[in-house]
Amino acid sequence: MTDTTATDAAAISWRDEDVRGFGMAIGGRAQVLRPTTAEQVAAAFADARARGVPIALRGAGCSYGDAATNDGGLVLDLSRMNRLLDFDPATGVAVCEPGVTVRDLWRRSVAHGFWPRVVSGTMAVSMGGAAAMNIHGKNNFALGSFGECVRSFELLTPRGELVRCTRASDPDLFHAAIGGFGMLGCMTRLEIETKRVHSGRLRVSAIVAKDLEHNLQILEDMRGEADYLVSWLDLHARGAGLGRGLMHRADQLGPGEDPEGLRFLDPALQDVPPNLFGLVPKGWLWPGMWCAVHAGQVGLVNWLKFQAGFAEARKSPYLQTHGAFHFLLDYVPRWQWMTKPGGLIQFQPFVPAAAGARVLRTVIEKSQAAGHVPYLGVLKRHRPDPFLMTHAVDGYSLAMDFAVSARKAQRESLWRLCRELAEVVLAAGGRFYYAKDAVLLASSFPRVHGEPAVAAFRAQKAKWDPDRLLQTDLSRRLGV
Amino acid sequence: MGPRTGTCLVVGASSGIGLALARRLALSGRKVAMLARRERELAAQAATTNDVLGRQAAFAYAHDAADLDAVESLFARIEQDLGPVDEVHFVAGVMPDVAIDEFDLGKDRQQVQVNMLGCIAWGNAAARRFLARKAGCFVGVSSVAGDRGRVGRPVYNASKAGMDCYLEALRNRLWRHGVQVTTIRPGFVETPMTAGLKLKGAIPADKAAELILRARDRRKAVAYVPGKWRLIMTVIKLIPSFLFRRLSI
Repeated sequence: MTDTTATDAAAISWRDEDVRGFGMAIGGRAQVLRPTTAEQVAAAFADARARGVPIALRGAGCSYGDAATNDGGLVLDLSRMNRLLDFDPATGVAVCEPGVTVRDLWRRSVAHGFWPRVVSGTMAVSMGGAAAMNIHGKNNFALGSFGECVRSFELLTPRGELVRCTRASDPDLFHAAIGGFGMLGCMTRLEIETKRVHSGRLRVSAIVAKDLEHNLQILEDMRGEADYLVSWLDLHARGAGLGRGLMHRADQLGPGEDPEGLRFLDPALQDVPPNLFGLVPKGWLWPGMWCAVHAGQVGLVNWLKFQAGFAEARKSPYLQTHGAFHFLLDYVPRWQWMTKPGGLIQFQPFVPAAAGARVLRTVIEKSQAAGHVPYLGVLKRHRPDPFLMTHAVDGYSLAMDFAVSARKAQRESLWRLCRELAEVVLAAGGRFYYAKDAVLLASSFPRVHGEPAVAAFRAQKAKWDPDRLLQTDLSRRLGV
Repeated sequence: MGPRTGTCLVVGASSGIGLALARRLALSGRKVAMLARRERELAAQAATTNDVLGRQAAFAYAHDAADLDAVESLFARIEQDLGPVDEVHFVAGVMPDVAIDEFDLGKDRQQVQVNMLGCIAWGNAAARRFLARKAGCFVGVSSVAGDRGRVGRPVYNASKAGMDCYLEALRNRLWRHGVQVTTIRPGFVETPMTAGLKLKGAIPADKAAELILRARDRRKAVAYVPGKWRLIMTVIKLIPSFLFRRLSI
């Protein structure tokens, strides 16, 4: 352990900013600092302690809800601590500062024939954020969560201690800090494993699923052999077509299977294309989507997308770059602006497999009945992981994106609906994911993880942050 | 010229355009000797290339392009290992950051040593062999930066201009003997060397490699990559010096 509080705390200056979640629906004013070194982080902690004001850690700001906001408090934005310190081209192990993004990592690794083991649907996510929220990807059922590819991290605690932690050195801290939504300290350095790929491309197949049960059946049939599985759901479909959608399966290629894939190890060939049909800059797409949302035509857009799925299924399988397959959310820059001015929230229940079909059907039906139909639904398969505050279950998750109305009554009715849905999920032994959640109440926190896990997490919090300096809007909402 | 079947040699093959060239050459069925200074990177890149192809096509040889005296024996060793070389791509280059008021002989010497003398050393070693065999192809990857002397990087410009002039002379010496010498002047290309420069409209290194091999196949003397840079540089070369020194290009 090293003491890093020696730096002069008076030298730092905070800026007053509006800090919001990715969904823009939640947030507030906060004093923001963007450090570039661990010493500055330590100085910021010292300053916060001296002023007695809670401080929140923020990576790339990709959490949809309030996991990285701190209304009226301090926010440490780590996006400028973004140096990729080392990448071993033989083993694929990267050493990163917390602000290094998924994009920074894959651009470096893919050139050497490695791909991050776990990536999110956007490449904007930071390594610190990915570890703190223990994110998952479309291969959660196979390779587990992001935390499982973290080899070690250095944690700067609010009291200024720098702790180097591996699975073996302090298993309790390791499994609490990863997925601990930034409650124990700031990860200033992370060692991350990537995996060998034998082509710059994946073999992708699209499969039309006629309803929810069909979707779940495909997940069960394929999870033993597929590398990635994700299904887009048309949540506007009712009756016999409820939960219909388009499943995408992707598989890695073996050595020599796709010799052309050698060229696609060039990072520039992995990026998502900047134009639609090679013509329309994608930055101009969100106003069109805004019109669809505000003219109530989301159902029509979903119907069109579902119909387009048949053509894609016919041309399957096809080869696609890793980047184009994974980063769907980056195809349309600033897409979340289509939900302005109210913004959006995402409700993503994780449901054990046995109760999956029943609970997800109920959730979809209830949201349709309440008149809050998600404009986007994404279904994935998961498996448990060893982290204390995990959201993973041996089962399914359904991510539902709701546009939030600017009207107060509508907004409150959406929150009521989500809490009602959360009850259904919790009663079935389900869980929630703090990178997404915006609605859970303090009473639900122990029900998500079980009392013993919550007690163990609170013990870690008391050990590493006894002054409760690290707080977010999320942690106060959950009563951590 | 018959089908290209011999061994290829790429100097500067661990990243950027050189790596993209080595990959495309390996993909086309050739044996490729990959040369670069950073041994760890190079070995990993050669291994990755072979892994993706599912066969042994790339062979790593650690070499610092500044080490001029090592060239002759290394060339001989590669031919001994892999058979006669009929195609050499010199892509090695250094471009250190230079402040506007900096006149550092150390940085200058390094650029001349690698960019210009390195090219000459490999050009000479190739020329001797190709001349005797009356066949072969030498591709030198220079830069649009060699076309004018500019305030930002005087010696980078000078080293590339020197390289260009040497390649032209080499071409003029060898063409009557059936040996091809092609000068490539890349514009903006996305590579680790240019990563910090935020170049607008830069093409992928793989695209640059594709255009370079096309210029090779068309037996071009000088090729701009991509082609639009010929127009841009023609205009820039026409700017009179008294005006050019007042511009920030």
